[in-house]
Amino acid sequence: MPILDIRGLKAYYITRKYGHASRVRAVDGVSFQVKKDEIYGIAGESGCGKSTLLKAVSGLIKPPLQVLEGEVVYDFEDQKLSILSLREDRQRRRIRGVRISLIPQGSMSVLNPVRRIRESFRDIIDAHLGTVDEARFNDIVRTHLDALGLDWSVMHAFPHQLSGGMRQRITIALATILKPDIVFADEPTTALDVVVQRGVIQLIKKIKREQMNTVIMVTHDLAVHANLCDRLAIMYAGKMVEEADVDALFSNPRHPYTIVLLKSLPRLGDRSVRTSAPGAPPSLVNVPSGCRFHPRCPEAMERCRSEDPELVEVEKGHRVACLLEEGSR
Amino acid sequence: MRVHSHSSQSRNAQSSEPLVQKEHSKLLEVDNLTKVFTKGQGFAKSTITAVNEVSFSLELDRPEIFTLAGESGSGKSTVAKLILGFEEPSSGAVRFRGEDIARTRGKAKFMKDVQPVFQNPFETFNPLKRIDTYLYETERNFRMSKAGEYPLVERSLELVGLSLTEIKDKYPSEMSGGQLQRVSIARALIPNPSLLIMDEPVSMIDASLRMSVINLFKELKRQQGVSIIYITHDLATAYYVSDRIAIMLRGQIVETGSVEEVLDSPLHPYTQLLRASVPVPDPANKWQKDIPLSDIEIREYSRKGCKFAGRCSKAEDICNECEPPDYRVNGRYVKCHLYKTA
Repeated sequence: MPILDIRGLKAYYITRKYGHASRVRAVDGVSFQVKKDEIYGIAGESGCGKSTLLKAVSGLIKPPLQVLEGEVVYDFEDQKLSILSLREDRQRRRIRGVRISLIPQGSMSVLNPVRRIRESFRDIIDAHLGTVDEARFNDIVRTHLDALGLDWSVMHAFPHQLSGGMRQRITIALATILKPDIVFADEPTTALDVVVQRGVIQLIKKIKREQMNTVIMVTHDLAVHANLCDRLAIMYAGKMVEEADVDALFSNPRHPYTIVLLKSLPRLGDRSVRTSAPGAPPSLVNVPSGCRFHPRCPEAMERCRSEDPELVEVEKGHRVACLLEEGSR
Repeated sequence: MRVHSHSSQSRNAQSSEPLVQKEHSKLLEVDNLTKVFTKGQGFAKSTITAVNEVSFSLELDRPEIFTLAGESGSGKSTVAKLILGFEEPSSGAVRFRGEDIARTRGKAKFMKDVQPVFQNPFETFNPLKRIDTYLYETERNFRMSKAGEYPLVERSLELVGLSLTEIKDKYPSEMSGGQLQRVSIARALIPNPSLLIMDEPVSMIDASLRMSVINLFKELKRQQGVSIIYITHDLATAYYVSDRIAIMLRGQIVETGSVEEVLDSPLHPYTQLLRASVPVPDPANKWQKDIPLSDIEIREYSRKGCKFAGRCSKAEDICNECEPPDYRVNGRYVKCHLYKTA
């Protein structure tokens, strides 16, 4: 049973300059479902719309971002919610942090530099549980920090006194203190060192195990996805081009973009020649006609210029958006 | 910390070249380089040793790609700045072609021969300036050819796989990160350098374009005979592209050797941890067990003894007491007490 069902989502950044409207088609018709208790990964290069997708799905829609079409439905056991039909102010705010929660990217810009960590925890707890007394507050936070293996002493520190990895772990602790049903993680390991990155991935796994929540993980790093996710979707220029179980996606990639991407990954212990796709990802203001990958695709046919392939199931649980797959439907 | 390339020593011993020639057998010699930064004043004054007795050298007649790898805060970028002469060392020296750069830095000859490529191509270039003007300026400033003629611009663009028509009259915002980084490398190639210092040159470049830039390094080494110091935290690309690697931790080099040896069978416990933390892009090889985490990273700079001892599972009393020297193990240098007997 899907806990999150997204259908035909279109989210554009629309700006007007001198009466000229410019549309950045960041998410352009994306549909997918996330099952309860899984870790769903979304991969793609910078500027492919993966962060915008997270914003739209979690209802963080502020101009110039606009959702033009589509539905985002959460199906919690006791409650069914269509987040885009909720009013921004109170209604959406009430479910954020409690039912859905976002682990943002830059931990330094998330934590208030002039306030102690403790006060950040106080903010989120007071906002959702009402003003709780000191003993209860300490109790909630201590239990949570213990479960995550973080030391209580960090509560009295200012953000600048902590290392980057520690700050990111505290950001994760903040995002999950109210045991949300769904955790969105937007590049939580980018800009961290490999050792710290491994620690953060461990922490996300641990939280998932203990709180039994669903995790949606966005990062450009396919190696992180391979280690963490159950299912993985690949995005290119605002569209989803392939989605499959993580094992199937790595062992049997079917979209030419996925194939090129996986081939270009350097691996320790292997010095054989790697190549990358020719050209560069398109700008989302001016996307190519037909299949968006066709100008760079080694397998492009004449039809690819004009026909935009749908994301269709080619094998059980494996969806691909490519005209080459027509025969295998 | 002293890392000599052993092959050069043996060659020097055999050759009957005069002494003057011998000094010049190194392209670059980094000799006990130390950089101490001070912050605060009076009682609040504190120092941090960002680079701590780092030594390595590159051969003159054998171009190579030498990787300096380490986590953020390991001092690898400071080493780059010291080699380029942007910072002055607190002690130790950098010698380029046998001459101390304290004397030659800022001089056209040195600047021609050693060129930098920086991390973020969008910050390297002024967004309000057309990209081709950088190339013309470089050729003009170094007086590479006759006034008003720019034959090298086109040639160096060709080397990085671009053409003048592609970049003419374009602003940085009109180009992709991969293209810009190529232009940045093309600019560095105009004065015909023998050493390129690249500080995280591909970390801002999209995954589908990254390998094209990395492959370019190999080409430059092979075709142009350029040596490259590749500074990165990405061990997978380091393994792919480099010949030798030095692993840095809190200002010190803890292990040096050929990249295959160091990363296939790391000796220093820190290299082992680093190696084990690189995620493998293969779901069949997921990490099985958790690694212990530390919150003490920040305090490691000021540690007495081995900088890694606080996190090391094999640490003994001696590790907290005195700093390990460099032990030579099978042609590698390892800064760890474990290899004392070896």
